[in-house]
Amino acid sequence: MTQMSTLDRLSRPASESAIEVRRLVKTFRTARRSPGVRGALRALIAPELESKTAVDDVSFSVATGELLALLGPNGAGKSTTIKVLTGILTPTSGQATVAGVVPYRERERNARNIGAVFGQRTQLWWDLPARESFRILRDIYGVAPGDYKARMREFDELLELCSFWDTRVRHLSLGQRVRCDLAAALLHDPPVVVLDEPTIGMDVVAKEQVRELLRHQVERRGRTVLLTTHDMTEVERLAERVVLINHGRIVLDGTLTEMRERFGRGWRVHVTLTGPDERPCPPGLTVLERDGARLVLGPTGGADAVPTHQALKRIIERYEVMDIRVEESDLEDVMRAAYRDARQESPA
Amino acid sequence: MRGFLPAWALALRVVGLTFRAQLEYRGEFWMRVALGLAWQTSIIVFATVLLGRFPGMGGWSSDAVLMIAAVRMLGHAFYEVFFGRVGELAVLVQEGRFDAFLLRPLPVYRQVQLSAFPSNALGDLLVGGSLFAWAVWSIELEWAPWQIAYIVAALVGGMLVEAAVFTALSSLHLHFPSAITWSYWTEELMTTFGNYPLKILPGVISGAFTFVVPLAFVAYFPVAVLTGNTAGLGVPVAVAAAAPLIGLAAFAGSRVLWNWSLTRYTGVNG
Repeated sequence: MTQMSTLDRLSRPASESAIEVRRLVKTFRTARRSPGVRGALRALIAPELESKTAVDDVSFSVATGELLALLGPNGAGKSTTIKVLTGILTPTSGQATVAGVVPYRERERNARNIGAVFGQRTQLWWDLPARESFRILRDIYGVAPGDYKARMREFDELLELCSFWDTRVRHLSLGQRVRCDLAAALLHDPPVVVLDEPTIGMDVVAKEQVRELLRHQVERRGRTVLLTTHDMTEVERLAERVVLINHGRIVLDGTLTEMRERFGRGWRVHVTLTGPDERPCPPGLTVLERDGARLVLGPTGGADAVPTHQALKRIIERYEVMDIRVEESDLEDVMRAAYRDARQESPA
Repeated sequence: MRGFLPAWALALRVVGLTFRAQLEYRGEFWMRVALGLAWQTSIIVFATVLLGRFPGMGGWSSDAVLMIAAVRMLGHAFYEVFFGRVGELAVLVQEGRFDAFLLRPLPVYRQVQLSAFPSNALGDLLVGGSLFAWAVWSIELEWAPWQIAYIVAALVGGMLVEAAVFTALSSLHLHFPSAITWSYWTEELMTTFGNYPLKILPGVISGAFTFVVPLAFVAYFPVAVLTGNTAGLGVPVAVAAAAPLIGLAAFAGSRVLWNWSLTRYTGVNG
């Protein structure tokens, strides 16, 4: 993602964007503590205050009906950004709007427009069956009885809730609890859904159900979804676009392909020939490794760059091939490279 | 859900829900009720022993002193019923439950109050109500309509003064979890000194209980006005008589402070 395309997205009319974040800054003031008893005493009497910038000049927008993954290592500023967008925190400077509402100025109005799930916390009544929480949330949001029934039926179909929604929340497994939290967050039909690590600690089946629900919400219901996660499979399966954030700053705003291009090492083709072959490489490709009949080829880059399928065609036309295999950098590798790159760029 | 009546209906539904949630732990529920009973009873026993030894206190008859204790304890029970959760706000913040309140389209302060059923207040109400009935029966008053209206206003005012003190303190809970210990200490102070005529204390201390922790406005001043024990109050009688209104004003002020503090909330982990 280039800077130009970020600006291009930001310059969209406000009506097209469900979430707009402009030059957002959130700074926390904390006391610096030196090690040892002496340091602790000094901090007690004459504390040395320091400012920690959790979110530093962050700008991005999410179009209506888009699913955006906000990615970054722990402590990158993702949750702080989410907390500003949900009205929990007030930014130090900058501006954020969600469905046209400034969350920290009109918290209650914003709460009606968003559904929020924090994977590590619940908004359900801990000691009561989840269905009781759904009913009280229905009353809080003023959901009509017919709509409530229809939505519960839909959530049950997608998340298989009825087998455990009469169980007390404290007795639910993590996966069951988060599925109930998702239903609770969507009960009032919010146009914007914000999810902070919703599948953390879930088994693969539960994760897939949650992903299916999210896909359904975006594709069928046209909801805008902002998701933070460390699960790259989730990103790969759900996200149309990612914003990569590190040390409070945006490192990349673009598609997964753009992220792969920038931080991935691209593709490689492993070829086993019928015998040693000294013929030159097809155009657009370069030999990275050669070991007798075995070759590893990669793209030359620049103007001659070829897509994978073209490369395969050219290799097969040029050589007598016994075996051929394409290796692409997986998203975890790309993310690792991206985080490393961001760390090197960061002045900290 | 908007409007006064629907808001109350919803609040009652949530109270019902939290009550049922507490009944899930029957043993703990009864222990909380018993704690409220034991706590308040121990205060009554102490006050009764004290009054038995000294029939008068600072020129006040034992019946009038009993009325101070009764108004304070019943006012405290009402405080526990309607506002008591504010004293434990730091726990909600630390457990991360407070953040969930900010995600719902309801006033945050109201959600704090609706976060748990006040089972301990049942014991407070029982003891406070009984003591109040005893005090009304014992005291020699004509109970003219203005006196009845005033004692009701005094009970509401006492509740509001206590709510104001703990709401103001809980503004600190939003930022400093250890502020909860200040709330505990203040409650201890109010329990220890709130049941007697404050004029028996040295001037500096009774002044502190008037202008710093406004304990005098909870029960001492209203009962002084009601029983005519207005000598040596440390404030003009009109101010003492206005205790219920001062309670209302103090509570309104504490809510402004609380809301201001909420705009600076930074959460438990940034």
